[in-house]
Amino acid sequence: MKSKKQYILIFCVLFLFGACDTDFVEINTNPYAVTDIDPAILFAGAQRTHLGTYGAEHTIVQQFVNPYNQGATLGFNFNADIDGVNNPMWDNSYPATIRNMVQAMTLLEGNTQRVNLLSMIRIWKAQTFMGLVDTYADVPYFEAGKAVSEGIFSPVYDDDAAIYDDLYKEITEALAAFNTSGDFVSADLFYGANAEIPSANATAQVAKWKKLGNSLLLRLGMRYSKINAAKAQAIVGEALAGGVMTSNDDNAYVKYDGSTFVQATNNNLRNFSQFNYAAEPFVDQMKNTNDPRGKFIFATFADPGQVGSEPNPDTNLANQFGVPVGVDEVALANTGLGYRGTRGGGLNYSQYNIWVASSPAAPDFWVTYAQTSLLLAEAAKRGWVPGGDAQAKIYYDNAIAADMAVFSLYPGTTPISGPEVTAYLAEPGVAYNATDALELINTQYWIVSFRNGTEAFANFRRSGFPALTPNTYNNDLQGGFARRMTYPDREGSSNVNYQAAVAAIGGSDNLTARVFWDN
Amino acid sequence: MESLEGRVAGLNITPPAAGAGASTQIRLRGQAAFAGANNAPLIVINGLPMDQGARPADGAGQQRDRGDNLQNINPDDIETMTVLKGATAAALYGSRAANGAIIITTKSGQKGQGIGVEFTSSFTSSKALNFLDEIQQTEYGIGQSGAKPLTQGQAQSQGQFGFGARLDGTPVMNFDGVMRPYSANPSMLYDFLQQGTNFTNTIGLSGGHANGSFRVSFSNVDAEGIVPLNEYKKRIFNAGINHDFNKKLKLQLNINYANENNINPPQIGTQGDGPVNFFNRMGVSTPIEAYRDNAKNPVNGAEYKTNGFLGTINNPYYPIQNGQYYKDVRNRFLGTATLRYDITDWLYAQGRFNYDYLNSFSEWDRLSGTGTDNPFQGDGTYKGSYNLLQDISTDINADYLIGGNKQFGKFSVDASFGGNTWRTQWQRMDQSSSNFVVADLYSIANGTIQNQSYGFNRTRVNSLYGWAELGYNGMFYLNLTGRNDWFSVLNPANNSLFYPSVSGSFIFSELLTNQTWLNYGKLRGSWAKVGSSNGVNPYDGLLTYSINPNQFNGQTLATVNGNLAPNPNLQPFVVTEQEIGLEMRMFNNKVLVDLAAFHKVTTDQILNVQISNTSGYPESKQNTASLRNSGLESLIQVTPIETGNFKWVSSWNNTYLATEVLDVGNDTGTLLVLYFNGTGNEFLGELRYTEGMPMNQLYTRTYLRNANGEILVTPSGGLRATDANTPGAELTNGFLPVGSSIPKYTGGWNNTFTYKKLSVGVFIDYKLGGTVLSSTHLNMLRQGHSILSLEGRREGENGLTFPGVYDDGTPNTSVVTNLQGFYANYRNLQIGDPFTYKSDFVKLRSVSLSYNLTDAIRSIGALDFVKGLSVSASARNLAILYKDLPGLDPEAIQSSGDLRAGYENSSLPTARSFNFSLNVKF
Repeated sequence: MKSKKQYILIFCVLFLFGACDTDFVEINTNPYAVTDIDPAILFAGAQRTHLGTYGAEHTIVQQFVNPYNQGATLGFNFNADIDGVNNPMWDNSYPATIRNMVQAMTLLEGNTQRVNLLSMIRIWKAQTFMGLVDTYADVPYFEAGKAVSEGIFSPVYDDDAAIYDDLYKEITEALAAFNTSGDFVSADLFYGANAEIPSANATAQVAKWKKLGNSLLLRLGMRYSKINAAKAQAIVGEALAGGVMTSNDDNAYVKYDGSTFVQATNNNLRNFSQFNYAAEPFVDQMKNTNDPRGKFIFATFADPGQVGSEPNPDTNLANQFGVPVGVDEVALANTGLGYRGTRGGGLNYSQYNIWVASSPAAPDFWVTYAQTSLLLAEAAKRGWVPGGDAQAKIYYDNAIAADMAVFSLYPGTTPISGPEVTAYLAEPGVAYNATDALELINTQYWIVSFRNGTEAFANFRRSGFPALTPNTYNNDLQGGFARRMTYPDREGSSNVNYQAAVAAIGGSDNLTARVFWDN
Repeated sequence: MESLEGRVAGLNITPPAAGAGASTQIRLRGQAAFAGANNAPLIVINGLPMDQGARPADGAGQQRDRGDNLQNINPDDIETMTVLKGATAAALYGSRAANGAIIITTKSGQKGQGIGVEFTSSFTSSKALNFLDEIQQTEYGIGQSGAKPLTQGQAQSQGQFGFGARLDGTPVMNFDGVMRPYSANPSMLYDFLQQGTNFTNTIGLSGGHANGSFRVSFSNVDAEGIVPLNEYKKRIFNAGINHDFNKKLKLQLNINYANENNINPPQIGTQGDGPVNFFNRMGVSTPIEAYRDNAKNPVNGAEYKTNGFLGTINNPYYPIQNGQYYKDVRNRFLGTATLRYDITDWLYAQGRFNYDYLNSFSEWDRLSGTGTDNPFQGDGTYKGSYNLLQDISTDINADYLIGGNKQFGKFSVDASFGGNTWRTQWQRMDQSSSNFVVADLYSIANGTIQNQSYGFNRTRVNSLYGWAELGYNGMFYLNLTGRNDWFSVLNPANNSLFYPSVSGSFIFSELLTNQTWLNYGKLRGSWAKVGSSNGVNPYDGLLTYSINPNQFNGQTLATVNGNLAPNPNLQPFVVTEQEIGLEMRMFNNKVLVDLAAFHKVTTDQILNVQISNTSGYPESKQNTASLRNSGLESLIQVTPIETGNFKWVSSWNNTYLATEVLDVGNDTGTLLVLYFNGTGNEFLGELRYTEGMPMNQLYTRTYLRNANGEILVTPSGGLRATDANTPGAELTNGFLPVGSSIPKYTGGWNNTFTYKKLSVGVFIDYKLGGTVLSSTHLNMLRQGHSILSLEGRREGENGLTFPGVYDDGTPNTSVVTNLQGFYANYRNLQIGDPFTYKSDFVKLRSVSLSYNLTDAIRSIGALDFVKGLSVSASARNLAILYKDLPGLDPEAIQSSGDLRAGYENSSLPTARSFNFSLNVKF
């Protein structure tokens, strides 16, 4: 029968087309994609975590100011809560460095051979989350970074104090797990084979990481100073006993070639440079104390609008004038009001030196010996570590000397000499004295942390120093300082836990709610 | 596509004003899926299915429109073009036709016609339409705080502001150090733009004999856009061959080869480069000659700094004069071979092979000195970039069909069964370099940073399908279709989908043969379902890593790739459409009515869902969303006058489209598609899909109002915006819906008058009921260029007291003297009230005139070899009869995509064009 033949034909063809999805899996597999990776180089890719921005943290702590309100330049300069200014810490952490570290840890699951790599990642992940908590208060922590591994798309926000408890656990467990006869992590940017000061073997590298971990533990312990002195003292003591950083060689930092890899903030200061100025409190602090670091940080360019074309600006500290905080550009341009008016395409004030401290080849520092030593100075002063004022002074002087030495890593610098350091340490307003110790120590912490806005912002809130005057441009902050940054707007529509998170921090996602250690 | 614009009910065509070779937005019965999916109808050329493939200017990612695939077809080669609106098109063409299909058949000669030559020549001239005087202020010049720039430095940092002094004609310092009169130079953009031209010539040769026919044609397009240096050149070769081997075996071959050169498509839609952004955002007191003559800084060769936003407002003369370019060359081959064998007089088998090969090559540079006053990088090398991009793609469709039709008494059966395989492969080679060593040399070899990448993917869709039409007595018809698709991009567990359709028609005029007024009457109804994997890309389910191309101080770095959390569990989404229709021809066919109502629901739409980026990814693809498009289409055509020599045909078509977002797949009920300001390149508002609202909702913050609806101001009289405490805006941080970008009413009124050999067409079209957000308006206000920015500094005014109230309800009495700061807060706070307009328009779209001279010319004895001669002239975009958006054409949005629906920012103005053409047949 003819029709039967047709049915057979149809079925053959049906089989031909319909069943040939057998090779669909192969077709839908990208033959060129990298689907397997060494977790160590994922970690290396995640080590350069976010360090704050000029427009946010450095503006809050009055080291930097953009006095213009020309649209898209509003933010902490005028006490305004602007999404894009609040977000970089968040956006450069969760879907970037945290994602990579979580994935690296997933790849290391069940691997007992690479315990040192795992410990480094745990410590560095803790460092990243410490910055997030310090910046935003409650944040997603336990469920963060698990979109792929556990399908969690809306991570729950965790209590900031609870996160800190777990950070303590992570750092201490990781420190305990280090094994000098274990794996050498060559990829480690801080102390690995290609680091500025490379480690020869696992023993040397682990020693450095233990110092880094304990220095972070010290930082974490000191955060409790306002709310729980006993807890602070216990953790600080544990860190000191474990061994913290003892010289600049221990610093967690990287250098940039200034070409293929650049220090990120340089571009921000170079582009639209007429908007970017050093803030008056920072300039005045250095000027009033004849700080030898000032000439590397500040500069007066003939045209503030074209700093990139002027390689030799005036760096004489006496000629530097910072922009007063909370004054807009219309007023600053008006010499009749007592301001310095305009110069070139900008204002007649000092800027950051884009050829030295803010050069594309300027290094990035996460944790330094200078910071560590200043925290110890405060701890000694408070009696949490031994030595009292005498030891505090030693820690303090060592920190300042170490920070000055670090400038030799910047382009366009000459070493700050011993006599210069000595003279500076004797300056009124610098020289250690028992009465003003906490202010002196934390003012120095503010100076050395001009490289790390997150830390400068956190320590300013914790210590209350330096004694800055609040920006009173408007009354948005009720005459105070920003105590945190707000969550990204995007969280409101993408994370179902957002409303609960806002309720947990006091019912309003604003700049004046406080991180738990800031109460 | 312009020939269909406004003429087919349900078809919404929007040609963006984006340059000589720009793409067109085509939507049939609304936008079936959310942005990101392919929402254009399928183009089927002689059976070869091809996506429209629009490559629009989409803001930060792409600021040049690089055309679409329709441009590969020469309109003069088209024999017929049919629009299949319903989802019923999908049984035949599969999921790709979920948005309908446009079926194009190209010419392939006529059997038995002998040899003929046809020549068509056309010339079009176009010029930008200028409405800027409706919004541009010409009272104040460059400067700030009411003062003129005193120094060159001030002129260079304040050029973007029109908050200077009142223009008085006295000499003032300009950015280039030259003193020029402080007076108004309005509409400089229109002095920058030029007349656009387009020459198109087609020659066709056709022939036919008893067993077959052929036609070959060649066309050449040579166009210049209204933006200087924008050129579009195209050559298309087309061949169609029919050959009957014998009575049973027939072959049809179609070949189309297109070579396109798109040179310097204009940069639009974003900040940065591009003339529209520049001229609309610079003060009026510096004349265009200054920008033209002193574009380059004589000291270092970089762009002369004209304004304090240099980098985001860049002088377009600089790249033009110094050799910046963008070249896009595309070579595309389309081939179709169809072999049909008539097994019996009622049964046939057909096999067809379609081959689509595309090789596109782009090359562009950006100069060291473009958008910067300093041509050097921080490391001392030269800024700028050089890029090479090559895409090669092949698209193969092979299908077979077995079909038959037979009459059984009063019953008829027409049934077919077939299968199809669609296989694609795509490769991309991408190279770029930057940080140049030698000045003014843009090449890979000169860059100290060189990047390269290779992209690759393959997809396959296999299908089986069948359909049957059962007829009774030529009066009742029932159509059934079924199709099963298998998609390679989906997980094998979920990759198969069967979808059916059923439709019926009743030709009721067969029962009313005694009613002489009724010539034809048909009632139809249908239900159809279509599946689609549209929105899923190959390898979406895979977690991959990217290795940094450059080592960091000798150390290799890697990161997890991508913004989309891999989801291996996606399934095809489904469009279900119901339609009823009525078609009647009456009164000797002088009145024609065609009505249709449709209801189309898209479910399980595959969508990039925003997830909390604390999960590690900002987005994930999910099968979540659903939406509805429903509408009413009507076409009414009447022939009011028809005498021996004169005929007037008037037709009106209208589509009413209602859309509703049913589900966005998250708990908040609203899905952010794009935060325009968040791209870093745009200014205002958001595009969202919100449950219960029409598609493409534009959101902005608005003035903060009290319970009485009065606008609240700060104690110092400043602006306040809605925030997360505003009712209805809790989840959107103060952003509130201000309207949908999609017009509710789209249509046109066409009149054709024919007198003997002369034919005149007058066409008016309209789109009503949509919303547009204008960043041009925002920028012109905050930078002091719009008439609105005069509030507070008009004659006799010394500051602005904004009409609002304080928190306690008392009227605002504060006087704001810093107007620049006040208006800047519209952008800072994202207040959209003054920039939200209806996108409504009614346009006198075209007037055309054609005259058939065939008889006249043949009457000259020596010229009787001429078989046909006609000439025509037409004018397009003659007038906008009505619009709501001042200063701009509401239709001139920059993007043919869906991501920037309703968002206006630095679009090219619409051009008015005049065309003359000649057609000769020998």
